[in-house]
Amino acid sequence: MFERRRSKRTIFALATLAAGALAVTAIPAQAFNVHTADGVTPTTIKLGITIPLTGSAAPGYNKIPAAMIAYFNYVNDNGGVNGRKIQLVVKDDAYLPTLAVAKTNELILKDKVFAVIGALGTANHIAVSKSVNLGRRGVPDLFLNTGFSGFADAKKYPTTFSLFPSYVMEAKIMGQYLKDKFPGKKLGLIYQADDFGTDALAGFKQAGTNFAVKVSYASGSQSAQTAAGWVSKLKAAGAEVVVMFGVTTASGAALATSAALGYKAQWILGSVGGDATTLKAVGVPAVVLTGAIGASFLPAPTDTSDPYVAFFQGINTKYNGGAVFDNNVLVGMNTAMMTVQALRAAGANPTQKGLVTALESKGSTFASAGLAPLNYAKGVHVGYNGYWFGSYNSSGELKPIGGDYSVYTTDSGAGAIAKSTYVRPALPANGLPTN
Amino acid sequence: MQKSKSKKIALLAAGALVSLAISAMPTAARAADPACATAGGVTSCQGATSDGAAYVMQVPANFNGVLMLYSHGYRYPVDIPAGIPVVGGYKVVTIAQQGPDAVVIGTLLKEGYGVAGSAFPIQGWNADAGVKSNVELIGLFRKQFPATTKVAAWGSSLGGFITQALAEKHPELVDAAAPMCPAIGSVEAELTMAGDVLWGMKTFFDPTIKAHNYSAGAAGYAEAMGDLVKVFTVLGKLQAGISSGAWPDSAGPAGTALASIPSRSALLMVGLMAGLPAQSSHFDATSGPGSANTAAYTSFALAASPALAVLENIANAAVLGVMATYDVEQQAGGAVFDNSKTDYSARVESDAAIFNAALSGSDAIAGMMAFLNPANPAAPRWTSDAAAVTKMRALASHTGKINVPTIALASVADPVTPAGNVQWLADRYAEQYAAEKAAALKEFRTTHQYTSPAKNFIAIWAPTPNTYTKFTATGAPDTSVPGANGTGHCNYTDAQMLAIAHLVGSAAKTGVLKSGGPLTTLVRKAGGLSLDPKFRAPLLKFYGE
Repeated sequence: MFERRRSKRTIFALATLAAGALAVTAIPAQAFNVHTADGVTPTTIKLGITIPLTGSAAPGYNKIPAAMIAYFNYVNDNGGVNGRKIQLVVKDDAYLPTLAVAKTNELILKDKVFAVIGALGTANHIAVSKSVNLGRRGVPDLFLNTGFSGFADAKKYPTTFSLFPSYVMEAKIMGQYLKDKFPGKKLGLIYQADDFGTDALAGFKQAGTNFAVKVSYASGSQSAQTAAGWVSKLKAAGAEVVVMFGVTTASGAALATSAALGYKAQWILGSVGGDATTLKAVGVPAVVLTGAIGASFLPAPTDTSDPYVAFFQGINTKYNGGAVFDNNVLVGMNTAMMTVQALRAAGANPTQKGLVTALESKGSTFASAGLAPLNYAKGVHVGYNGYWFGSYNSSGELKPIGGDYSVYTTDSGAGAIAKSTYVRPALPANGLPTN
Repeated sequence: MQKSKSKKIALLAAGALVSLAISAMPTAARAADPACATAGGVTSCQGATSDGAAYVMQVPANFNGVLMLYSHGYRYPVDIPAGIPVVGGYKVVTIAQQGPDAVVIGTLLKEGYGVAGSAFPIQGWNADAGVKSNVELIGLFRKQFPATTKVAAWGSSLGGFITQALAEKHPELVDAAAPMCPAIGSVEAELTMAGDVLWGMKTFFDPTIKAHNYSAGAAGYAEAMGDLVKVFTVLGKLQAGISSGAWPDSAGPAGTALASIPSRSALLMVGLMAGLPAQSSHFDATSGPGSANTAAYTSFALAASPALAVLENIANAAVLGVMATYDVEQQAGGAVFDNSKTDYSARVESDAAIFNAALSGSDAIAGMMAFLNPANPAAPRWTSDAAAVTKMRALASHTGKINVPTIALASVADPVTPAGNVQWLADRYAEQYAAEKAAALKEFRTTHQYTSPAKNFIAIWAPTPNTYTKFTATGAPDTSVPGANGTGHCNYTDAQMLAIAHLVGSAAKTGVLKSGGPLTTLVRKAGGLSLDPKFRAPLLKFYGE
């Protein structure tokens, strides 16, 4: 009763149209009002990011989008990507999962972005993946600002690509470092009691690290008051070396409170909570940070001998108002450079599916500031897989221990930890990818 | 226009007396001719179907031939004594209802639609009786108004369930259907949600709550009424302890074992275990008081708001949860909810990651799950009665088959009939459409004639705004304002309900659903609705997605 009949003639007409389409492939697409993917026009590519610009997690992270835009503007001033200018729509999720869902929905349904880039926060992005379901929608979800190992599941998250090494990898490598450098010392651990911390515990377990004391805190509960409780437990256990595997505000509270209470230990800061500029911004004096050990997969943001850092600092001066150049700015610009390469790899007429495929097939060859290799391949959606260790000097700069970047790599499972021999691709001429 | 709570409660409503009344009627009873009168250009008829159910039919002078047959939602099957919080003094309602409210009914009549609705012969969970009454009512309407050409069935909540059941079982009588905020699938799916909430409330906050395996007769009634008092009392205590995290004094072993965990985290856990939305009419889980850059703002948005949302949702759904459990147990003759094998840890896994902070972290989550472990004698699980379950499963249920053009409407944060109900129907239709398409292609290969299957289903969602919690000048949440779009149970504006009515009316007339621009325009004009075809609501926990 409700069938709509399509006749033989219609089928024939469709076949004729298809043949016609073949015949006109030589004519530039811009000559027609062609249908393009969401977020792509003949002159622009629209991307989106949700990130905390307000709220307790904003300090530091709120610098990432401006850094990305700075690099995109530089690329746009130099012709864009295949003639298209990149636009980045930035939404503030205040580090709240429910708001991240709402803002990502806006990016997709209202702004109609081509891809989501650099979304930040484990809980936020689990919420987004569950409720917005970028995979089901086929929306590329690139270069996450989280190391949660669960996002490596390419079947569950088919369009999602992490950039950071997983927290499991970081903890494994850190565990090995503890074993090598602090044998016989009493170890303490402060970790966030969520997936971030669960990953850390899994990594330390893999590394065979034995902590004399483990102190967990619920995300959002960190304060000087709660940190006093942590320090009390660490002191009671006699911890001589303390790993701080938490967010920056937790690192800041732990360092400042332990200094105030006269508790002295060798601090080792995880990459998430170890950005010196942000630590200073949340009230940690450089003197308190001095001598602490940190880990990173990017070069130190103060290392002007590094060609990527030097180049990005130039972009920062010209396109980002000369913001304080820290790890967040470096992450933002590096992510933007990776994005440009991914878009180029997707071809002159990019599709969302094509972008995912391009990243799987060519992502491991992208030029990036990262000192660890990129591991993208079909079904492998985790980027970097290694870390180097450094020590904070009296200016709060993270300097590689021993003077050079000794990067150690591993996986999120039972794989070995090995010293990396990876040599990253050279910075493209003028910082403009030509892949 | 938002419906007030009292109005919603009035729309819910009715049974024991009616049941008694109809049990005395002869089995071959026939409906008497209705009493009709015409006023203001509208002919209104009232009568009773052969099962004793009151009905009302109205037809305007400019009748366009389309009957809009409305099925009302769940009405409590028993009176509720004065003194019970929120619903005390409720009397069983046996009034026929021909539309969701007077404005919608009046508008449809002005537009030329005929409207009709039944009170149904019994109240409570009455899907089988509702379908039967509706079948008879359609015949009576056609007899009374021979100009009738098409029938569009629509309904809210349980009425949505009845609407879908009617369209599945009697496509020959119905030309289009629109279940709104419907229960879909089976009563078992709905009662599983209610059972999970009530078991969680009992186990964490008040072991004296019964909420399961109610006694027969007057004793069971007293137990159910007692539960209503207990649930609202404990909700009041939980609300008072939201900031401090204090546990209610009624908490029992959980209050001692889990004292280091804020009670708000346990409350949120109950909501997540049951699949209740973590947004409610007044709590968006995204806003806090004052400046967004203060710790107070983040703390409220992250930790307090989701718990308050669950509290408000439980408050709005508790009466229905207790009453429907009592009602169906009485119908089935025993306990129907069983969580003896439920793995709550697995069930909340992804939600626990999302609301980790509000749940006070992984250690607290592990602690709560350890307490709820089936092996913990302080948290005994509930088991069902096999015979009662068999009886319950014999009640009307859905296959999900879409026989006529169907529009389903759901609010994404409905605490009584979550959007997962409509998602379940959407999933069944996706399977059906894929099969129809495959069959059409198979046919094409042999006949070289392709008949595109018609798209016969649209899901329309009412999403919540990004932020909507209001605060008073002192920073306290303001719950005096109307509930937000996409929240509450069947909390739709007249414009939204009329949009659905126009879609289903049009589909009944033409045999096809509106699509493309006309559909988008109609939905956009209604406001607060979304057609996002790739939105996916979480299914009810019953389905173990």
